[in-house]
Amino acid sequence: MRPIVSLDNVSLRYHSVSGETPAVSHLNLEVLPGEFICIVGPSGCGKSSILSMLAGLLSPSEGSIRIDGEIGYMLQKDYLLEWRSIRSNALLGLEIQKKLTKENIEYVDTLLEQYGLGDFKEHYPYQLSGGMRQRVALIRTLAVRPDILLLDEPFSALDYQTRLSVSDEIGSIIRKEGKTAILVSHDISEAISLSDRVVVLSGRPARLKKIYPIQLTIEEYSPMKAREAPEFREYFNAIWKELDVHVS
Amino acid sequence: MFRKKTQQVISREQAAFLSRIQRRKALVLTIQWTLLFAFFLLWETAARYGWIDPFIFSQPSRMFAAGIQMAQDGSLWTHIGTTLWETVAGFVLGTILGTLTAVLLWWNRFVSDVAEPYLVVLNSLPKTALAPIIIVWIGNNQTSIIVVALLTSVVVTIMSVLNGFLQVDHEKIKLIQIFGGTKLQVLAKVVFPANIPCILNALKINVGLSFVGVIVGEFLVAQSGLGFLIVYGGQIFKLDWVMLSVIVLAVLAAAMYEGISLLEKKFMKWQE
Repeated sequence: MRPIVSLDNVSLRYHSVSGETPAVSHLNLEVLPGEFICIVGPSGCGKSSILSMLAGLLSPSEGSIRIDGEIGYMLQKDYLLEWRSIRSNALLGLEIQKKLTKENIEYVDTLLEQYGLGDFKEHYPYQLSGGMRQRVALIRTLAVRPDILLLDEPFSALDYQTRLSVSDEIGSIIRKEGKTAILVSHDISEAISLSDRVVVLSGRPARLKKIYPIQLTIEEYSPMKAREAPEFREYFNAIWKELDVHVS
Repeated sequence: MFRKKTQQVISREQAAFLSRIQRRKALVLTIQWTLLFAFFLLWETAARYGWIDPFIFSQPSRMFAAGIQMAQDGSLWTHIGTTLWETVAGFVLGTILGTLTAVLLWWNRFVSDVAEPYLVVLNSLPKTALAPIIIVWIGNNQTSIIVVALLTSVVVTIMSVLNGFLQVDHEKIKLIQIFGGTKLQVLAKVVFPANIPCILNALKINVGLSFVGVIVGEFLVAQSGLGFLIVYGGQIFKLDWVMLSVIVLAVLAAAMYEGISLLEKKFMKWQE
């Protein structure tokens, strides 16, 4: 299968008055269609910069990026616009891309209904819980029918319990909609439970350390069940070791 | 998980709590009105018993009589109308012009960097000092007064609205860019709507500033208006007119402030 995303020897450097900071160094990565990839690495290692490059917000200083398809991007927080209703927030992407066709609007309404937000369309963001808001953000991203989803620690702003159920929910939705996903996280359990492959990066500048293909023996896949698989702990320990986290 | 105001049966404690709050509110309001009433009563009494000279301090009953008389011959309405029109024109123009300039400066960061020291100096300069110059340039007319009123509010509007624009969460701007949005869309979908509260707040402040500009302008050139009435009344020792004008001004300012508060409520129904 031809990869849908490929990074070829990509490096990125930031420039500021105080100097030049290398953020990403000679990164090679290929993602196949339908794959769910997790990128883990120490905090501040340049994971988000990789997503920004994939989304076209930053250009690599060296190397090249090839992407076959439309990109959808989910940020760290939901960033719903407080002055817009839930429905109007979900339509934001279509509005910006001037694709507010009858068919697309119906699609958004269907997604809202399907994912339990049907009764909240005319509500405002402040009236919703964190988990619901995150679902609206996902629908806003799905509305423009992207082939590849970039997720930048989309659950990090949620409390632990909500986070578990939301990551379970959103992981399932993405699989169900058959999207390719690249998730950035610093949560190892989350990475293992959600993805087909876990990519471990080094500290800044981000370099590829190792890629773990995840294979779990569970009857029916769901991110929550994945955590109960016998192999889960082994993967966790291996990745933990690879990340080489120093707690001082 | 869903938070919504629901109608509930309230407990006795809750009822007691609510009634305590209600009582406090009523007490505050009662004292506020009593103070106002007592002030006028004391003023009136002091004038009647000769503790103060009503010729230079005026007195509520004389102000009231003067007000009735001027309302009947229509001059009161002319003066109020003039001042009101000049003030509204001043703060509306000041806010619109200030906001437009802020948009321009937000759009072009280079221009805003260049303009910054000038804005800071202009902001600290008392704009009423420019009134005589404006009158020389534009003439002895109402336009001059409106321009002075506009000048009092425009610079502070530029600065506060620009500041609001620059404080918009960068991630929200990124959100628009992720969908391929243009700079105009960033402005229209995020930066401007996020700052409507800020602009309404500027409008509120501008009401007060615009009144200052108008009154000073009327002191200098006008043939009608409350500022004119104050100066003219002072010159011919008609203190009833002067005091009456001041009180009418206070009422007008309060009414406009309330009006903008209503507007604010209408625009911000999305807030908690």
